[in-house]
Amino acid sequence: MKKDDLIYLEKAAMDIRINLLRLCNKEVIHIGGDLSVADVMTVLWQYQMKYDPDNITDENRDRFVLSKGHASAVTCFNQAAIGCYSAEDVINEYATDHGRFSMHSCNLVNPYVEISTGSLGHGMPVACGMAAALRMKGNVTSRVYTVMGDGEQAEGSIWEAVANAKRYKLGNLVAIVDCNGLEADGKIDEITGLGNIADKYRAFGWNVVEIDGNNIAEIKKTFDELPASDSEIPTAIIAHTIKGKGVSFMENEKRWHAGKISDEQLKECINTLEKAFESRFKG
Amino acid sequence: MKDGKSFLRNVIGEYMTELGRLNDKVVLVNADLAGTCRNTDFTEQYPDRSFNVGIAEQNMVSFGAGLAAEGFVPYVFSMAPFLTMRACEQCRTDVAYGNRKVRMIGTYAGVSGGISGATHWAIEDCGIMTSIPGIHVFEVSDANQARNLMKYSLESDMPMYVRCGVEPTMNIYREDIEVEAGGSIEVKSGFDGVILCAGVLVQFAIEAANRIEMKTGKSIRVVDMYSLKPLDRQAVISAAKTGRVVVAQDHNVIGGLGSMTAVVIAEEGIKTKFKIIGVKDEFVAMAHAPYLYQYYGMDADGLESAMMSLFE
Repeated sequence: MKKDDLIYLEKAAMDIRINLLRLCNKEVIHIGGDLSVADVMTVLWQYQMKYDPDNITDENRDRFVLSKGHASAVTCFNQAAIGCYSAEDVINEYATDHGRFSMHSCNLVNPYVEISTGSLGHGMPVACGMAAALRMKGNVTSRVYTVMGDGEQAEGSIWEAVANAKRYKLGNLVAIVDCNGLEADGKIDEITGLGNIADKYRAFGWNVVEIDGNNIAEIKKTFDELPASDSEIPTAIIAHTIKGKGVSFMENEKRWHAGKISDEQLKECINTLEKAFESRFKG
Repeated sequence: MKDGKSFLRNVIGEYMTELGRLNDKVVLVNADLAGTCRNTDFTEQYPDRSFNVGIAEQNMVSFGAGLAAEGFVPYVFSMAPFLTMRACEQCRTDVAYGNRKVRMIGTYAGVSGGISGATHWAIEDCGIMTSIPGIHVFEVSDANQARNLMKYSLESDMPMYVRCGVEPTMNIYREDIEVEAGGSIEVKSGFDGVILCAGVLVQFAIEAANRIEMKTGKSIRVVDMYSLKPLDRQAVISAAKTGRVVVAQDHNVIGGLGSMTAVVIAEEGIKTKFKIIGVKDEFVAMAHAPYLYQYYGMDADGLESAMMSLFE
């Protein structure tokens, strides 16, 4: 099965979810936001990005900046899926003292992390600087992908960078907003008054695509149709997702922003995910 | 240069073109203060290596970190209070934690912002920036020193913060004055007491020391502690062994040079008289910088009486 095959990617996304849940059985992770963005991250890392784990300083690679830094686990497992390390490495080493993997990610200990993140509103502005740097170097083929949360859009620094990316014509920048509707304390709509996020990016003159961020086919199609990397208008992919997607008791529940599951819950979750996959693709 | 004095922000701003010539990876990032930071020579000569992100200091620093991640050497300029406080977390997380070779250059150091008011003072920046792991912090006192520090900034791989004021400073050093992380300069020798100082206050300390020597015959050493971090411990230890130390700093009395010096003396267990001269942990709304230097006892009169009080 080829990696551009939809069923391959669906299976890959399921495997990512299973690994996330296995880790969540061992440690407290930001499982809700990991699961919401799992489909986007799977297609991004396992299909879309030019990134060779054996040549990670290749100038022509695509860059990735995890602006919603708490989605480190879903990033690590996707990196594992393309051969940066193994999923077992991630599970065994996660949240160990001086380990490579933890609640957030750091470039000092993990060479596959381009930029250390964790505090919100940082990754996106740094990604802008990287995109501008690629332009200065005459690199017209690489893109910089950054993944943000929708709650993160309340950080003022995001909008400083949004205006800046347009002004510097960073068409090589692709900013994905994982819109799962929830932040740590509850519903974003009830906390921030951010309103329609897509409209805000449009107002800043960005190329905006709104998609179902838990639909593999739609995600893949969006990536396939991205403007050329040497174009002049940055792209925002507003990915509408479900926090906790794929695990019924976690979906749209703020309590599962972060947490840990029991052995029994793990067994039940994996069983449900596998059955759902079989009924969709093997029936 | 003017009557044997220099404006260090002009010196640093103008020297950027030389850095641009020396290294084609040098880029400049500003947040709508290119004029204030004297960056326009560089931006005119190297427009493709100049970025003005608008009035957005957080983005300026993060953007710089992104440029550095891709192999450039960004010089990020703003007024010191906005750079180190508005964008504090960006300096700390995107630059220092990421270990990026970003040069953060803050003008309007100390109370030199004077009549603009305390919004434009940087009296906390030394305390803040020296408390961030993994960055070097410098304050310049003289034109040749400033130029050589800028040249040094190309050689060092460490994240770096450099502060300078807007008030004129006396030309003190020769062209070949050496600067490096952890260094200090004995501007004037002396054995009865030492003024440890930095930046615009070095000239006042020299005058104070000369006056004391002339009036009393006591010999007072003046040491320019231009490298706030890493701090030259040996210079502090040697000063403390004279038994009289005045620390003169153009920032709040809490944090920065004086506090760091006191820690060294305490750790070494040296018995000495000790006095910190700086902003007395208060805001003055708006006043001219020379008035403030006098008001806080940072000028030659103030430093003279501070040192003399240690002989009582």
